[in-house]
Amino acid sequence: MTNLILIVALPLLMAVLGFSAHKLPFFKQLIAFCAWYQIGIELFLFRALFTGKDSVHFVDGLVADRTGALFALLACFVVASALCHACVFFKNEGVDRHKSSRRNVGIFFGSSGLFLLAMTLLCICNNLGYLWICIEATTLVSAPLVFYSRDKHALEATWKYLIICSVGIAFALLGTIMIFASSQQQTEDGTLHLTELMARAGTLDYPLLRMGFILCFLGYGTKAGVFPIHSWLPDAHSEAPAPASAMLSGALLNCALLAIWRISQVVVAAGHPELALKLPLVFGTVTVAAASLFLVKQSGIKRLWAYSSIENVGLMLTAIGLGAAPLFFLQALNHSLAKVAAFLLAGNFVQACGSKKLSELKGLLILSPSWAILLALAAIAVTGAPPFGAFISELYMLTKSNEMDLCFVFVTLVVSLTIGFIAVCYHVSGCLWGKPAIASINANTSWLSILIPATLIFLALLLGVTPISKYIIEVF
Amino acid sequence: MTATMLDCCAIAAALCATFMAGSRHLKRNILFYTLQTILLAFATAIRGSLQSEEQLYLIAIAIALLKAISIPLFLRWIVRKLCIYSDPGIMIAPPLVMHLSLILFACSYFEIASIGHSKGSSMAASASASLLLTGLLLMLTRRTALSQIIGFLVIENGIYLFAMTQTTGMPLIVEMGILLDVLAGVMIAGLVAFRIQKSFEHIDVTQLAELKDE
Repeated sequence: MTNLILIVALPLLMAVLGFSAHKLPFFKQLIAFCAWYQIGIELFLFRALFTGKDSVHFVDGLVADRTGALFALLACFVVASALCHACVFFKNEGVDRHKSSRRNVGIFFGSSGLFLLAMTLLCICNNLGYLWICIEATTLVSAPLVFYSRDKHALEATWKYLIICSVGIAFALLGTIMIFASSQQQTEDGTLHLTELMARAGTLDYPLLRMGFILCFLGYGTKAGVFPIHSWLPDAHSEAPAPASAMLSGALLNCALLAIWRISQVVVAAGHPELALKLPLVFGTVTVAAASLFLVKQSGIKRLWAYSSIENVGLMLTAIGLGAAPLFFLQALNHSLAKVAAFLLAGNFVQACGSKKLSELKGLLILSPSWAILLALAAIAVTGAPPFGAFISELYMLTKSNEMDLCFVFVTLVVSLTIGFIAVCYHVSGCLWGKPAIASINANTSWLSILIPATLIFLALLLGVTPISKYIIEVF
Repeated sequence: MTATMLDCCAIAAALCATFMAGSRHLKRNILFYTLQTILLAFATAIRGSLQSEEQLYLIAIAIALLKAISIPLFLRWIVRKLCIYSDPGIMIAPPLVMHLSLILFACSYFEIASIGHSKGSSMAASASASLLLTGLLLMLTRRTALSQIIGFLVIENGIYLFAMTQTTGMPLIVEMGILLDVLAGVMIAGLVAFRIQKSFEHIDVTQLAELKDE
């Protein structure tokens, strides 16, 4: 119980501060600081996992395992980075001048706290029912993040996000109930506990389990942005303010995929790996291929990153389909680091130039060399080119699919990743060079505005050039 | 208080959804939704007495209070505030939608027979599948944000009916969590609908199509 109070205390404090204390001059910094401190608390709570223990018990139904702990830490890191950058971002937006915009920022930070809480609990769920509740909660508390700018486009994006995800997740609920029903066929008392489901996987009723898994896959897949049920994702990511896009892309998608992975583990344990692995594998490969084609013809910088996120979701699903949990985490880590940096930098440019359109973002190198170089590096890191970490995880994935004689997956991934790389490089380099459409940049390009993106890109580089990736794969 | 009564409640709830498909009048839809939810609460109570499980009574009371009273009152309040009383619908005329919903009802009976592995009554299972499909149909054939919310609620009712009749002893805390999530979801969606009316001066969600890949 103490553990649970420790892990929820700071996110709740962040929410309270955001919703009630937005008149305080330094509440933003305070909340961002809380998010960093939360990483420390989580490290403290999860310390036993990294010294040999298999699980850390919170309460009944909330038990952290190693994968869950790593994803919880990653989510917390992403939220902390995004909120830290958000302090600078909203200051440049000039929100302190108006009372109403100060309230909106308060709601933004408060919802971020709740969002962090929901994602943290999601990662340590050991019960499919709680898992569903947490995922639906992430949708509800992140809707205010998407709605931040309060204009027509934000409204449309929020509505689509709410409705499409809620209906999708409703199907996951049906799937969860079917899995529960499948555990009741041979014994009287059913269970939703993952450990128990795994323990008696052999006695689960397969037709019901299969239906349940497929429904959960589609439901949580909607949330993760799997093609062809991704339609909410580009809208929400492009209309949300940059820190919110970063959190959605860098943390939320991982969490939805973690849910899929957990359920697929049950199906594998039940002795049906052909279903549990083939479904993510096929959908993952198709998602990568479709997203890379979408990347070719994009006109907005944030939509570009949104489709690149879909491509990475496809890669992570493929990793799940290859049955490689370490690869799944490694890809998620690399994607989160690079994509958060990319979204935050894109946000800087959009804020300074007043447009999201790629055709109006020109000559960024002249406007602000440091931002532009970082944006180029982020683009390279996101697409999985060396020397960044994503290259290593993608290479592992290709090797693994080759070893498993999955020719179709191998060829599709190579072709799609190449198309994606060319498309992103084409669009981003189009922004960097040329004559600036806007005469002068009207935002401050201080070191604070590049501190977080630069750090993230540096970390992505470290993952690529040091043996950390190998260590993660082996120790996991 | 027999199993037959439970089946009757389930089928009556499914028929309520069919009537909803036949009417574009928002207040009437909300009324049918209320009726449907009360039937479900009643069915929960019957099941509670059949299996002598006390927690089912608790769930029945929670459903009656939250889903059959609070949500309809909230939706009616929105209808009054927005002064939008009927839904123009998309392409298909309401009687046709109603017939489609009846066909779906028949389909779900055979569909459930083909799955046929769960322990509960197959009549209730087909009623829940029919609720689910009719809810989807409602979401597809309606234009206003409010009808979308109502359609979502019907889907949720279908899922709840499935859980209640096909499984025993869903953990209470999970049920309550789901209920709370649905309640919060409807509140947030309702508030967004308000905003849509304020900035677009309509709540026709099919016209929300400005964001797309160019």
